Amino acid sequence: MICQRCKNEASVHLTERVGGKRKEIHLCSACAKKSGLGLPESPPNLALDAVVQDLILTHVGELVGELAELACPECGIKYMEFRAGGRLGCPQDYRIFGRGLLPVIQRVHGATRHVGKVARQRPGAIHRLRLRSQLRDAIAREDYEEAARLRDQLRLKDIHA
Amino acid sequence: MTLDDLTKTSGEWLRGNGPESDIVMCSRIRLARNLAEFPFTNRSSRAEKGEIESHFKSALAASRLEMDYFDVNVLPPLDRQFLVERQIISSELAKGEGPRGVAISPHENAAIMVNEEDHLRIQYMLSGFRLHEVWDEINNIDDQLEENLAFAYNPSLGYLTACPTNVGTGIRVGVMLHLPGLVQDKSIDKVFRALQKINLAVRGLYGEGSQAFGDFYQISNQQTLGKSEPELIRILTDVVPQVLLYERQARQRLVTERRQHLHDQVSRAYGVLKTAQTISSEETMLLLSSVRMGINLGLIDDVSIATVNELFIQTQPAFLQKIRGSELDVEDRNVARATYLRSRLANGRMAPEP
Ligand SMILES: [Zn+2]
Ligand SMILES: [Zn+2]
Repeated sequence: MICQRCKNEASVHLTERVGGKRKEIHLCSACAKKSGLGLPESPPNLALDAVVQDLILTHVGELVGELAELACPECGIKYMEFRAGGRLGCPQDYRIFGRGLLPVIQRVHGATRHVGKVARQRPGAIHRLRLRSQLRDAIAREDYEEAARLRDQLRLKDIHA
Repeated sequence: MTLDDLTKTSGEWLRGNGPESDIVMCSRIRLARNLAEFPFTNRSSRAEKGEIESHFKSALAASRLEMDYFDVNVLPPLDRQFLVERQIISSELAKGEGPRGVAISPHENAAIMVNEEDHLRIQYMLSGFRLHEVWDEINNIDDQLEENLAFAYNPSLGYLTACPTNVGTGIRVGVMLHLPGLVQDKSIDKVFRALQKINLAVRGLYGEGSQAFGDFYQISNQQTLGKSEPELIRILTDVVPQVLLYERQARQRLVTERRQHLHDQVSRAYGVLKTAQTISSEETMLLLSSVRMGINLGLIDDVSIATVNELFIQTQPAFLQKIRGSELDVEDRNVARATYLRSRLANGRMAPEP
């Protein structure tokens, strides 16, 4: 079995249930580790089945249901797409997928709170992310009048950014 | 500055000066940043990537930073590979698609990739073991860009990144170490396992997934959340001296227990590099590594560390093809590599036996 993300031999195989459908994930240990699905630093004699069982319980069991169905209204990414690809779609996903993400973050970093450099407050930015997602939608449904209006709004705010 | 100008110079980080530069090739910090009003790169449309690029270019122009921007999207594949070899862009950026690029400072200390996995990947490199200086420099670059860019950030999770493994500080603090002693000693795996236990990552010179060559290894933090930037830097500044000590002890053992063997190995390596008519990249790396250690142990005294450091980069395929001005197949590259090595190492002689 080949890793879905690179061409290496896959060593982590997971089955997730997405709304009744089975979805298989095959990753090499490096890619699995990257997406927070790696095997824990455990004694090497621990049976692999037990480790995988543990992973499924901690990472998938809780997801069956609402989280598995969740999609970000700003960028459209589904939680399960993130789980399969390892990349989030937009900054708002951290809030929207918080319940699923925090255990992964805790596992990777051993912490869930930032204590480093503080960025400038830019309260307008989230509004602009919303405008851009509306713009994408307008273009997709070929509503060019609305698209033009949204572009003007974005341009207007550019001046004050 | 054009890319062809770069073939005539080499990065400051190859100079071979700065503290502990016999082992620490360079100190490097990378910051991941994203613009709050756009989806992450993998979810941005082509038009949005174009806007991200132009937002960045105007912020750069408005700053006091002196950097030249290269549009990677229009660069020929050879030039992209050339930038990868110089450690200025990642192969991910080289292979990507759509609007993307890199801003480079005059001595190649600073590079900012645009539309890689994150909108911005800022990196700063200095030769030797100088992480605090590197942090001051990159922190300043980050501040100046932030004057005109709204970064994706929230107070509890910090800087928001496309992959949750970089969230928080978005920082990767690394040092590139030359560890031929530990490799020959076969104790390198032990050292790596110890580093991994304290959540430090070890990678080969060309980063993830590739085999380390030339005995160069990069050690860096993996966790980016829950500790401040200075705390993460301190982990490296606490641990690296220990690795340096092990490497020096290993080299000392080679000198005292296997002096003749060592001198023979170093002399042969130098001799082959100076006389070969055709040579592969792998063999070159191996031999340059021996020569580099030989210089540091006083066994070779007529070639500088800087020259050897440069040769690690300048014997790579894209560089050789750029100075030749044409594409070369493997056989031709091996000949071009040998010719280049002979010209750079000419007039050398071995140090007399002490
Ligand atoms: Zn993989
Ligand atoms: Zn989103």
